[in-house]
Parts: sequence; C-alpha cells; structure tokens
Amino acid sequence: MRLARLLSLIGHNLRSSWVRAALAMVGIVVGTGLLTFFLGLGQGLREKVLERIFPVNQLEFEPRAVQIFGIEQVALQEPLDEARVRQVAALPGVVRAFGKQKSSFPARLWGGKELLGYNLFTEAFFDGVPAQVLRSEIEAFEDAGAKRRPSPAVKARRCEEDLDCRSGQACRDGLCEAIIWADRFVEYPDVAMACSTAASCPAGWTCGDGRCQSATAAPAQRCMLLAATGSGRDLQYDAEYGELASPCAEGWCPKPSTRCPVGTYCAADHPETRLGWCETPLPAVINPLLLEVFNSDMARSLGAAPIGSLAVLYGVRFHVVLGDSYFGKDSERGLQQIKQAQVVGFSRKAPELGVAFPLSFIRHTNARLKSVEAAASFDAILLDTLSNEEVPQVIVAAEKLGLQLSRKSRAARTFGTVVMVTSLALVLLATLVLVVAAIQIAQTFAMLVHERRREIAVLRALGAARLDIAVLVLGEAMVIGAVGGALGGGLALLAAAGVDAAAARFLADVPLLPSGFFAFPGWALPLSVAVASVFTVLGALGPALRATTLDPAAVLAQS
Amino acid sequence: MREQVLPNATAAIAAQGLKRQFAADGRLVQALDGVDLCIERGEHVAIVGRSGAGKSTLLNLIGALDRGYQGSLQVFGQELSRLPDRALARFRNRQIGFVFQSFNLLPHLTVGDNVMLPASFGTPIAAAEIERRARQLLQEVGLGERFDQPPGQLSGGERQRVAIARALLLQPPLLVCDEPTGSLDAATAHQILDLLRQTQQQSGATLVVVTHDPLVAALAQRTIVLDRGRVAGVQA
Repeated sequence: MRLARLLSLIGHNLRSSWVRAALAMVGIVVGTGLLTFFLGLGQGLREKVLERIFPVNQLEFEPRAVQIFGIEQVALQEPLDEARVRQVAALPGVVRAFGKQKSSFPARLWGGKELLGYNLFTEAFFDGVPAQVLRSEIEAFEDAGAKRRPSPAVKARRCEEDLDCRSGQACRDGLCEAIIWADRFVEYPDVAMACSTAASCPAGWTCGDGRCQSATAAPAQRCMLLAATGSGRDLQYDAEYGELASPCAEGWCPKPSTRCPVGTYCAADHPETRLGWCETPLPAVINPLLLEVFNSDMARSLGAAPIGSLAVLYGVRFHVVLGDSYFGKDSERGLQQIKQAQVVGFSRKAPELGVAFPLSFIRHTNARLKSVEAAASFDAILLDTLSNEEVPQVIVAAEKLGLQLSRKSRAARTFGTVVMVTSLALVLLATLVLVVAAIQIAQTFAMLVHERRREIAVLRALGAARLDIAVLVLGEAMVIGAVGGALGGGLALLAAAGVDAAAARFLADVPLLPSGFFAFPGWALPLSVAVASVFTVLGALGPALRATTLDPAAVLAQS
Repeated sequence: MREQVLPNATAAIAAQGLKRQFAADGRLVQALDGVDLCIERGEHVAIVGRSGAGKSTLLNLIGALDRGYQGSLQVFGQELSRLPDRALARFRNRQIGFVFQSFNLLPHLTVGDNVMLPASFGTPIAAAEIERRARQLLQEVGLGERFDQPPGQLSGGERQRVAIARALLLQPPLLVCDEPTGSLDAATAHQILDLLRQTQQQSGATLVVVTHDPLVAALAQRTIVLDRGRVAGVQA
C-alpha cells in the first residue's frame, strides 16, 4: 500500500472514530506519562542528588572495623600507607587511588567578615588531599580552561604588581592575567612549615631557622607583624592583624626590608611573637555543599544574606589556628600557629563540613602537633573507578585487602540502591499501566475491526492484500500510540517542571535541596513515543490478525 | 444443462466443473455444483437465477474474492485457486472492477477519495494522474462537482455512479456487478444501466452482471441462468 494513501486512510479512520481513539489513548497517555515521569525522577535523583553528593564511581575505603559492644573499632591490621595505596590503585577497574589524611591536631578557624560583615568562629577539621587529585575537579569548577584561553579582543594591561590589575587578575610577567585559582592548590605551597627537628619535615628537607627548608625552594623572607591589638591569647581572636605597611604601634615599626611582597602576608612563628615569615595564604578547597548548607540553614539562623554563587568565594581569606581548640586539649603555646588560608577551589572530595588542604601541609602539621607516627599513615583511601559498572568488583577486591567502604560511601551505595529499587518499582508500575492500556487498546480495536468489517471487505475487493489490512490496523494503532506517547511524555515533562518549581518555591529552606529532582535525557520523549507505539501495536496485533482473516465475500454477502 | 466451454484463448472467463461448498448451520451446502461456462473478452453477460441459485457465489469466484472452489476457473488465463493472497489481491486490483448493490462507498472518505481508493494498493500510476482520472470519471458520470463531498450527501443513484467510477479507475478489463440496480428506483436504475453499457462499450471491458431483474438481463448479450448451483440455460 502506498505510504501516502496509507497515512491518508489512517487519518480518515481516526477522524471517523476519534472518540474511541481518544478513549483508547487515555491509558497510553497515563502509562507513558508515568513511565517518563518516573524515569526522569530516578535519573534526576541519581544525577542531581546522588551523583552530586556521592559520585558513584568515587569510593572511599577505610581500614576494616569490627563492632565491639555496638561501637565500631578498627581491626588490627597493616597501616594504610603508600604501599597499600599503590596496591589499591593496581586493582582492576581502578583509575587512581590516593591516601587521605585527616587532621589529628586541634584547630579552629575564623573568617567571613568580607562576606558577612562579621567573623564566624568555629572548631575546624581538615583533610589533607594530594593536590593533583583535586586538580581536574577544581579546574572544572573554575572553568580554568576558558580562563587560560586569552580573548584576542581584549588587550592585556601592563603591570608591575597585582595592585595594577583589575579585580580577579594578577600581574604575571608584566601583564595582567586572569587569576587561575586552581593553580594555587599545590603541594608544598609557599607556607612556612615550622619545625624544631627535621623529623616533622618532609623527607629530604632540613629544619633551619625554625622552619622546614628545601634545597630547591626560594629563600624565605623574614617579616615582623606591625600592629596587633591585645596580646597573648586575645591576639588569636583579632582579625585586625596589621600586616604590611601599617603605622608603627607599640614600638614595632616596619623596616623596608620586612615588608612582605604583594600576595603574601606576615605569618608569625607562633602566637607569642610578632616575628614571622612572608608567605602566601594556605590554599584551601571546600566542598560546594558547604555553600548550600550555609544558604539553606546557617544564613537564616545567622541573619545573613545567602551567598549567591561559588564564584564569590574565590579568594576569600580566613584564619586558621593550628594547635588550638575550643573543645579539646590545646597544643603547647609555642607550637601553635595562626595562618591565613584562602579559598582557591571547590571539590566534592573535600569534607562537607571542613576544609581540604594540600596533603603535604596536613601531614607536616600532624607530625608536628600530634606525632610523626600519626603522619605516617592515611585515614582513608579514595579511588576513582573507570565507570559505575566497575564499582561492585572494586569493592569486593578492596575488601579482600582488609578495607571496607567508609560510612559515607556506604550511605551513598545504600541511597543509590534505594533510588534504583524505588525507580524500578515505579517503572514497573508504569509498565503495568501500559499493559492495562494495551488490553484496552486490544478491546477497542477488536470493536473497531468488527464495526469496519464491511469496509475491510471493500478494501480487499478493491485490491488490498491481507498484509495491507494488517498494516492499516497496526498503523492506526501506532499513530494512537505515538500521539499518546508524545502527549504522555510531554505531560510528564510539564509535571516534572511543576514539581521542581513547587519544590523551589515551597522547599527553598530545606538544606541541600537540589536544583531539581528530574533529569530527562534527550531520548526520554522518543522513548516514550516508542514504548507507547510498541504497546499499542502489541494490543492491536490480535484484532489486526482477525481483520486479515475476514472473508470479504462472506462479509459483502451480508448486505 | 451445461454451457459449452470454448477452448478459446480470447476467453475472459472459463470455468469447468466449478464447485463450491459452504458449511452452514452444521451442514454442507453445495452452492455451485459443476458449473461450466465461458465468457468472451468484451462480452456483456447477465447471470440470473432464483435466490440461492449460486449467482453471488459464482460472482465472488469470478471476482477473485473467493478461491475455495473445486474444478477449474480461469480468468484471463489465470487459475485463481493457484494464486497466493498477495497476487490474488493484485489481480483483483488490476483486472477487476466491482460494482455492488449497496454501493459500498467508505463514508468517511470524500467522493474523490472513494474513486481513487483502488489506486492505494501498489498501483504504479502517479498520484496526479490518478486524481486526473478520478476527476474525469466523475465528470463522465455527471458528478464532477462532487469530488470533495462526502458520499453521505449523495442520492442512491449518485452513489452507484461513484461506485462505477471507482470500478473504472484502473481501467480493468473485467467489470463484475452484483445487482447494480437492486437498491435503485426504476428511473435511476435505467440511468445506471445506460451508464454501465456505455462504459462497457467504450472501454471494451467484459461485463458480468448478476441480477434478478429481467430488464437488466435483457440488456446483456447473453444470459446465463443458474439453478441449484448449475447452469440451467443460456439465452443469447
């Protein structure tokens, strides 16, 4: 049968029995609508919630623990050292693995005045993460690639120092360039690592002038804090450290040689002295979820305005006090240090309620303030798998090495399983609706074929083969299915948009609320149409076959 | 009585020992019981007989709507029982034009679409040519202005004219008409018969008409009388 004529006949048939076609379509619309809606919901929960908080292919392992009287205790075993990390990295399906070391020393931090107008003070927890591990992620957050491509339309401004450049730029080789914050997150940053012996310094480094020294590092510059209100312990709470050129105060005056270069500040050796080293702020990476936690919960309770985007946090400085705690036992006063840190990037590998610093710095500080042994092993091994499919086998292999998933990773997998099972159940429900719809289609088409048997007989008399009749009936079903699928899919998209809009409006205060609960891949609507077409064709198959077996002579003789 | 079967290569229809049985109410009914006949190309033949004589059964066999027969039935040299469904459908499409008593127009199609319907099934003629032919045929049957109207707006006679136009669209060499005037008043029936005759003479097609009406039969060159599934007589 000619396609144009076939479509024309299908169109005429549908028009002539549009009420029945519309009723038959209802089930298909509902079924495909539910199917698309639930698929979008499942995909959305995976992409926008699960993957955002717990990327599926990023696992965190800890030493295997046993429950003793309900309390998890680390089982005795070999430490998580570099050798163990290499062992894990060599597992099939693992792209890379690295050790993570938590800060085991007391610490506090304060900052936020430049954003909030006042400082926040809190106990602090740090993770030491190898800089190269976070590199790609923090570059992606910053879109560093785009920054590295200079715009040919904009001529770079000449400069001698950073102050000559616009905000967000730095002076480099006499020209102002966009600051690429990700480049600042490096191991062994230009930060004085205090020491009394070389034991707390990185391997191959020496301890001199109270700081770890590397043979390859540029000579450090001594400096003097210029003005500080208060003294002793109060000094730690003062954000008005007078670095750089300030008026003389309390008898401390700057000598030209003690002025620190732009971009550095004078970090005192310990809280009891104003003598320090010029150094860059500690590069800090924070978890993007921290901003959401702040915006959704903390900002309101603090009476502060929400922070618009991550971008405004780049370059924000805060102070960390190493060795001092609000709650725990402090380190010796002479070992404590107050340092500036600066936000240089964002990573989901950073602790949700803490800060990630370069591993070298945390290791050194652990060695200095806790013990050399504490710095010798890792607390966890993080790894990336090739894809989500490798995750189960990697978990099994890691468990054979005496490791277990961290609580965070376990929660992620549990959540992922719950999402998957729930999505599957909902998709099955939608499929059930489609099956019922197909039965309804079968009944409708059985009636249509019965009503049109004379018409079918006429078509046969005029030259239609059995196959032509089957194609005509199934084509009609397919059109109903395609239109129903498109309608169902479209309604699902609308409903999802409505749910997301309602959630954004009424659940705005809920912490960690994702930007939406739904994710519809490009094939969602075509899939809806295809599934609907398949179910309607299946439903119409029986009636179509019956139509082909009608005896035209017998039917025409009935008139 | 047997009609003499001419072993003639020019025969449009040649049946020998043609039998057809049906199962009805649990018993076998012998609708045709050894029909022998030969109809020449271009001939106008009427088939008459009482109800149940087998006229419609014979017409369905000749029209390739039914091939469950025994014996031999050749239409334009084709033994119809040997053709598979698709070939039989094509044969009906190209070789046979049907005119039914109850017109059998599709109500949701326009008059023009009804006329063009036979061209839907694999005809190698361009769509524009099909439409041209349809318009011309409707013009010839006096319904040129009704091309886009639904058949529901036509009278019985007009509908039968549309059915005739439809039967002629692909210029088939055989026209089979089952009581073509059975649903029409005398005056309209006369017009339709005139139209059929005129058409048959112009196209040279073979015309086989099943009828009860002696007036309709009288217009044929030959009348084959069926009785109890057999040829009971032939009137020239």
